[in-house]
Amino acid sequence: MMHNDAEHLKRFASLMPNVIDSSYMEKTLQVLNTLERDGIVSRYAIGGAMAATFYAEPVLTFDLDIFVVLPETPGGLLTLTPLYNDLRRRGYLEAGECVLIEGIPVQFLPAYNALLEEALAEARETLYERTPTRVLRAEHLVAIALQTGREKDHERIRVLKEQAPLDNAYLAAVLARHGLKSK
Amino acid sequence: MNKVTPLKPEIVQLFDASVNRRKQLAALPFPKKVRIVIQMQQMVEPILRARGRSIRIWPTD
Repeated sequence: MMHNDAEHLKRFASLMPNVIDSSYMEKTLQVLNTLERDGIVSRYAIGGAMAATFYAEPVLTFDLDIFVVLPETPGGLLTLTPLYNDLRRRGYLEAGECVLIEGIPVQFLPAYNALLEEALAEARETLYERTPTRVLRAEHLVAIALQTGREKDHERIRVLKEQAPLDNAYLAAVLARHGLKSK
Repeated sequence: MNKVTPLKPEIVQLFDASVNRRKQLAALPFPKKVRIVIQMQQMVEPILRARGRSIRIWPTD
């Protein structure tokens, strides 16, 4: 009887691959976790529109912005080439400014200033379905949008202020630290 | 100075409903929001394609 039950469960599972398989987004995040585990990137976190979507209403976007801290190079050069080479070896090819990972265009953005370095260091740990990942804090998304200052960034600030659970004291400290208080 | 005409209660109700809807969307679990983003991509794709912009829609499960 036990054997039959086990067989039945096995057959049931084989008929329902979607229940067991990860989503494409989850698979993409698993690849990013592998890159971090293998030391290809030192740390990563979701940023941009998808991070704003994490805290607020969904925002239309076509790529997944991933902020990365890259390992130190001998000359101190900030280059994405080793990361792109590694992804190519894993079968993920470039498409314009992005790399297609499990069908999702991922844009890697190295932490190029102190604000982004801090945002990555303090990014929020979370789970996407069953996969651990990181998302930039909402306060850092506001600060980055202020620093970037495009029209869509102002809209992002408005939406985050309206819908995201912002820690105002934390946000004020971030803005003061990075000279953004007057903006 | 021109006097501002107050909004009709029906209009105020519509605005409130819109704000509430957006708050409900914001409260959804992240994977559900990702699925909504993909639905939005599918909706705008024909418009953007007609304007000559090639975009890539994320795969769905």
